[in-house]
Amino acid sequence: MLKKGIILLSSLLLASSTLLAACSNGGSESNNNTTAQNNGDTQTTATAQPLTSLVKASDMSKLPEVSKKRNDTIIVGLTDPAGVFTPYFNQSGYDGNVISQLWTPLVTVDEKGLPLPNLAKSWDISKDNLTYTFHLVPNTQFSDGSPLTAEDVAFTWTLIYDKAYPGDSQIRKLNIKGGKAYTEGKAQQIDGIKVIDPQTISVTLEKPNALALTILGEYVLSKAYYGKDYKFGQLDYFKNLHGSPLGNGAYKLEKFIPGQEVRLEANDHFFKGKPKTKHFIYKTAEGDAWQFIETGDTDFASFTATQENIDKLKGLGFLNILPYTPSTYGYLQVNLENEKLKDKKVRQALTYGLDRKSIYVDAAQGAGAVANIPASPIFWSYTTDGINPYNYDPEQAKKLLDEAGWVEGSDGIREKNGQKLTIHLLTSKRPETDTFIALAAENYKAIGVDLQPEIFADFNAMVAKVEGKDYDLAAFSTAMLTDPSDGIEPFVNGEIKGYNNPKLKELYEKGLATTNMEERKKIYKELYVLLNDELPVIFTNYKKTVYAYNGRMEHVKVSPFIGLSGNLFEWSLK
Amino acid sequence: MSSFLTKRLTYMIIILLAASMMIFFLYAMTPGDFISGNLKLSPERKAELREIYGLNKPILERYGNWLGNALHGNFGYSLAQQKPVLTLFNEYIWNSFLLAIVSTFLTWLIAVIIGVVAAYKQYSWFDTLVMVVIFAAMSVPSFFIGLYLIKIAAVDLKWLPPGGMLNTGSNATGMEYVKEVLQHMTLPVIVMTLLGLGSLTRYFRSNMIDVIQQDYIRTARAKGLMERKVLFTHALRNALLPAITLVGFELPALFGGSLIIEKIFNWPGIGQLYMQSFSLRDYPLLMGFTMLIAILSVIGTLLSDILYRIADPRVKV
Repeated sequence: MLKKGIILLSSLLLASSTLLAACSNGGSESNNNTTAQNNGDTQTTATAQPLTSLVKASDMSKLPEVSKKRNDTIIVGLTDPAGVFTPYFNQSGYDGNVISQLWTPLVTVDEKGLPLPNLAKSWDISKDNLTYTFHLVPNTQFSDGSPLTAEDVAFTWTLIYDKAYPGDSQIRKLNIKGGKAYTEGKAQQIDGIKVIDPQTISVTLEKPNALALTILGEYVLSKAYYGKDYKFGQLDYFKNLHGSPLGNGAYKLEKFIPGQEVRLEANDHFFKGKPKTKHFIYKTAEGDAWQFIETGDTDFASFTATQENIDKLKGLGFLNILPYTPSTYGYLQVNLENEKLKDKKVRQALTYGLDRKSIYVDAAQGAGAVANIPASPIFWSYTTDGINPYNYDPEQAKKLLDEAGWVEGSDGIREKNGQKLTIHLLTSKRPETDTFIALAAENYKAIGVDLQPEIFADFNAMVAKVEGKDYDLAAFSTAMLTDPSDGIEPFVNGEIKGYNNPKLKELYEKGLATTNMEERKKIYKELYVLLNDELPVIFTNYKKTVYAYNGRMEHVKVSPFIGLSGNLFEWSLK
Repeated sequence: MSSFLTKRLTYMIIILLAASMMIFFLYAMTPGDFISGNLKLSPERKAELREIYGLNKPILERYGNWLGNALHGNFGYSLAQQKPVLTLFNEYIWNSFLLAIVSTFLTWLIAVIIGVVAAYKQYSWFDTLVMVVIFAAMSVPSFFIGLYLIKIAAVDLKWLPPGGMLNTGSNATGMEYVKEVLQHMTLPVIVMTLLGLGSLTRYFRSNMIDVIQQDYIRTARAKGLMERKVLFTHALRNALLPAITLVGFELPALFGGSLIIEKIFNWPGIGQLYMQSFSLRDYPLLMGFTMLIAILSVIGTLLSDILYRIADPRVKV
């Protein structure tokens, strides 16, 4: 949700994100390679133009001494690793970033979020889309040299269904056949999981789910290491293992110094070969990311793509700058249980009447774009076809409010049945909030709506207030999304209370029931048109961000979906 | 003395108990909990997790469990970090202590010297200058001084590191290690000292002004004692006496960490840990830490009472 989004996201994104890029606001799906080759134009003249491709460092002589001296170490800032370095158990996205270097998944995704073979060299999906059979790359090992087999995969999936499992893995949502019985203690093992041979494993779901491949295809825990004390219903022993992870990723943990750094060392047993750079360090950078990138203490950081930030980064000379759009979207959650907001026309009027371009694009110095559907422009399912852009139009807003029966009262505020059109808006405290509140209040006043903002310094408190239904609008941003269905899910699973549209549910299920991309694209388009018209939430904005990294670093690719971990083993220093 | 101590200890226990209740209920009733901030969870999964973490139990039962465990020295596991709360304290608190003890020492030392001299030369140019500088330092926010120093000393001049406690990736040991830590703590110590200096200098200056106007100082001078001796033995001793009460208040601050300083300088201290825990609603850690500060405050007050009694036997506590 909103601001938490910001906090969580910035954490998730800060370090892990992505690079991809060049998605201009039209959502052009330019691919990473072309944009990367397009570099070199440091002169990207007009200052008002947003970056669309990699800008190479212009003056490497400005590189700080301390950075010049480092030859076998890459340092990246990370807000606040807590030290829970076990996949599926970590409580923060920061620890997730570390885990993504320590483990490599069965299935990875390309820059559009589509599945690619990794540790699973191939897979078969049954005709009914219910059974997935994974074929593992032979002879892979964990970082201690022990073999990784289908047994380990089975152990990992089973563990998530343990009734004491305390994390947020999506595997449970897949409803593996027999999973529920296992959770309830009625079965010794999960029927749907079958180890066929050491390199082959199959899993059967109760109903089709297009996300199954990537969700099941996550990290594998060593059964010999993590399962040796396993007893059903008792997972407390994991707490003692979080600090000494045994993974199979490009790097392994060398040392964690709380509050200071996480030191990683190249894993000689990595199945794609030994990483090119011996050490990788996540430095805890709680404060200002600027000071560390400026002094050369870190090699990589992410910044909001405001013109001011971009100019400053370019001015430093020794940084490559790569723009990207995160896979998130911002929205104003609407209290649909509130009588006055039940009317679609009122919600549409509130959208027409809000000058989103001024608020989210111009006031943010170009570091954003207006959103109209629950999907980021980098998604394969993104479309503007048939989508109402709700361009700022106070006249249209007034017309809709009139139609909805809200008429202007003596003080200029609209009324209906003796009730004033007062909108109580919750938002969290951030630098942009002041601008947002000021402009939104002015916009709404112009159409006869009285906006009463309440600003929260604390995200959880705001969420509690939303859960208590004491609001009209609440500003949120999603966490990082990996599949188009992620953006729709809140409208289906009850998170957006008071919205119950059978058509939407049906389409959502349909979108998950097939793995055919073209078919899914059509379904999501239909969903977007529907949501864009009904506006159960008011879509607001996409963010734009840049990565800045040391010009000595080569072969850097960052994916919007899996962050740095995609090709980390190839990163090198020249 | 022993009945005095017994009485004081009984009070302490009652105060701590009351403090623990207040703290627990305050946190438990703050809207939002550890689960509510996780955007990836569906409403059903949230309910399951609240069950696993015991967050759905009645508040009194939760307090009872917590108190029972705490009395056995078990402050539980941090929800976010999945480590025993006391282990976490041990990992962070000494870093805060290091900054605090050095800057407190410097603050007192410098404040006493400046305070005494300024009082002795009241209304001189030195006194005026000191007061102006002190007011300036007191009125500039710490984050501003901190960031400014980073900009000048670390980013522009590259004399000192911009933050952290060690060079990244450093394997220094022995004297090398000490040197690195000293380099990294210089800027935060300067800021903390500057911040504490203002009020303390003013305090010593005014105490000293009061004392040197007393009859016994005039008597001492009349006896022909050297001015330095009058000032630093007779006067200072009496001027410092009221400061003993301040010592007690310093104790919790030594272990409490400084949020702003630690954040600006990226110092791995307990203040930062606490702030993060608050935004996550990591109750076990918040409770443990707040109780620790409560305990230190109570002990600090007791210590200063005892010290005062020793220093000035006329005082009845």
